[in-house]
Amino acid sequence: MPQPFPYLLLPSIWASRNRAHRRERGDLLRALLFGGIAALVAVAIFVAAFWIAWQLADYAELGDYLLRIGLSWLFLSFLSFLAFSGVVTALSTFFLSDDMRLLLAAPIAAHRLFHARFLRTLAHSSWMVIVFLAPLLLGIGLARCAPLSFYGVALLTIVPFSIIPVALGTAATLVLVNVFPARRARDILMLMGLLFAASIVILLRYIRPERLLRVESLPDITAFFATLQSPVTPLLPSFWAGETLFASLRGGRDLLHFGALWTTALMLVVVVGAAYERWHFAGFSNAQEARKARFTRLHALDRAAERLPLSTVRRHLLIKDLKMFLRDVSQWSQLLLLLALMLVYLYNFRVLDLERIPYMSGIVKNVYAFVNLGMAGFVMATVAVRFVFPGVSSEGAAFWIIRSAPISMRDFLWSKFWIGLVPVLLLSEVLTVAANELLGVDPFLKVVAAIAIVFMSFALVGLATGLGARYPRFAADNASQVAGSFGGIAFMVIAVLFVLVTIALLGWPSSVYLFHQTRRIPLDGMRQAQIAASFAAATFVSLAAWWFGMRTGVRALE
Amino acid sequence: MIATHDLVKTYGSFTAVDGVSLEVPAGEIHGFLGPNGAGKTTTIRMIAGLLKPTSGRVIVNGHDLAGQPERAKASLGFIPDRPFIYEKLTAGEFLRFHGGLYGVDGPGVGDRVREMLELFELTKWEDELVESFSHGMKQRLVMCAAFLHRPQAVLVDEPMVGLDPRGARLIKEVFRRMASRGVAILMSTHTLEVAQEMCDRISIILKGKIIARGTVADLRAMAGDPNDQLTAVFLKLTGGGGLQEIDEIV
Repeated sequence: MPQPFPYLLLPSIWASRNRAHRRERGDLLRALLFGGIAALVAVAIFVAAFWIAWQLADYAELGDYLLRIGLSWLFLSFLSFLAFSGVVTALSTFFLSDDMRLLLAAPIAAHRLFHARFLRTLAHSSWMVIVFLAPLLLGIGLARCAPLSFYGVALLTIVPFSIIPVALGTAATLVLVNVFPARRARDILMLMGLLFAASIVILLRYIRPERLLRVESLPDITAFFATLQSPVTPLLPSFWAGETLFASLRGGRDLLHFGALWTTALMLVVVVGAAYERWHFAGFSNAQEARKARFTRLHALDRAAERLPLSTVRRHLLIKDLKMFLRDVSQWSQLLLLLALMLVYLYNFRVLDLERIPYMSGIVKNVYAFVNLGMAGFVMATVAVRFVFPGVSSEGAAFWIIRSAPISMRDFLWSKFWIGLVPVLLLSEVLTVAANELLGVDPFLKVVAAIAIVFMSFALVGLATGLGARYPRFAADNASQVAGSFGGIAFMVIAVLFVLVTIALLGWPSSVYLFHQTRRIPLDGMRQAQIAASFAAATFVSLAAWWFGMRTGVRALE
Repeated sequence: MIATHDLVKTYGSFTAVDGVSLEVPAGEIHGFLGPNGAGKTTTIRMIAGLLKPTSGRVIVNGHDLAGQPERAKASLGFIPDRPFIYEKLTAGEFLRFHGGLYGVDGPGVGDRVREMLELFELTKWEDELVESFSHGMKQRLVMCAAFLHRPQAVLVDEPMVGLDPRGARLIKEVFRRMASRGVAILMSTHTLEVAQEMCDRISIILKGKIIARGTVADLRAMAGDPNDQLTAVFLKLTGGGGLQEIDEIV
């Protein structure tokens, strides 16, 4: 008697239960940290949604209209996110996942395997959207005193709304894996990542939210709403979901759009399921082929490395690390996504016209300079935990080569440090200098921020390299797993504290200096000493973090 | 019990398996030998249903793998060279889950799991997570899983890798017993002593084609020396000479 398809999900459930029963070091800290952050984010979303919905209630029909458009926009954003996430997740769950070899060798009917894998793809792709939507809809519902049925309708709307884009994404993966050679699957993924990032930029450019800041352009407000509404087409599931929820919010029912959501979702599951029964095995079979190495001829890199004033050992370590990075598309795609987000971040500064805020523009700009420095610090910490911290662990099972070679662990770790430092320093320096230039902050702050970034880069990269060596995960499948380990979490906690302390130590003397400069009051000797001490303390904290990180790492390896 | 007809697998312009036809009747242990990259694992994966053949047919227990994949796979036990096991499951949980995939369910499954664990000397590890197992223990656990549903045919890819002498002896004994009860075993291996000791017949594959087949005595005769060890026969048939250059290089 064949088991029903949920049976195939049992290993995940049992594994979660076993993980909970057999806690490892750092599990509790990780759960508390992530749980705490998640709770904070959920509360923030709830409060923001409640406040906006509450404020909009004062504007009667205009408020309702904005809420309606807001819901449609929200669902439109999630629609694109879910479709992209569906493609990426389906590639892993249906084609590249290790346990597929076990399951395909077993006598499991293709449709059962499809349903189990699709459920898994759906859960992996949509949990973030659901976690985001739950406090948001709760906030809106409570602010508008929605009937209880609203929450039930919300649940019954989110389910088909998630199924539709994930099914489409899954279908797209099936087509891609069958049309293109499977070894290019990850290349395609990278392309998708770029397209997704580009679509974010275009979307932001399209709505031009900065126009809201221009008081003289108020007559254009109707044109702004027209722009807002133009991508909200009645043919998209995001519109159906928005309309269903909006009707329910006001105590009504919109069975047409609710029905459209469910029938489309069920139809897609049936159609995509049939397509999988027909073409999955061929695609999976292709996916078993060895992946072709990319960038196999990197003579330019070899030649460039030979010109660097490095010892033979360090040069070869550098070349090896760079080649491995270039050939790992998962690393690339994440880095490109990050760069795209950075562009969006900088673009916001370019269009933000703070001169139009009367009296306060100078102060706001300078405050922004520190917000920007903090952001750069967090970006550095994130990049470091994702790309630098796994440096030692990335040696994986091949670490014996380094261990048994006549190389000192100090040389090895310092090589990892420099390889990590250069991109992190460049990235964060460009981010900070460009943002401050676009904002037009005080020249003094520009210099402080530029120097601070150098010290922070050394400290954060040193900490990430050292703690990565102190808490390696050689058995991890990928860099993300290493970043999410106990050591990775510990690094993030220390890094965030470090960034906050540094910002405080730089922010106070800078504000005192600017205050005196703006009012043309000369700084007395005491104040000058305090400012110098604060800057010196910031420098000391950075150097100490750098030294502590590297020393810990070298000792652990030795 | 296991039969392949003109099995072909190409990757672009490269032909990994080129018209392989095999027949392993019930109760036979059939050795599948060949140098690295000859097409052994590709052939075995096609028979296991993990790779789609470019052309040709696979029949297991009378069922065509392409037409009746579930029936064919239900008769088959598969022991891969690099097995996947859920690391966060215990040995017992993994076996119960695996049994369920093959329809082994109900009140008797616990007893069957314990029987298999006892047979492969893993009883005291039943409630331990797989992630704490050594390579040899994982290999034995996969064998437990492969034999749990009492298959009529078994595919084995490199069974002795990572096993200690005691483990290796145990596996040999289990295979012999299974064969004596009518189970067909197709076993790829590089350990020629194992093949010589255990296999009723042997097929040698080279560059995707079967170049020799028969009992050890038949192969010796093909190589031209009835007294040769299987290693020498293998090297003669697959062209593995050229060792004289080693001295020059070293």
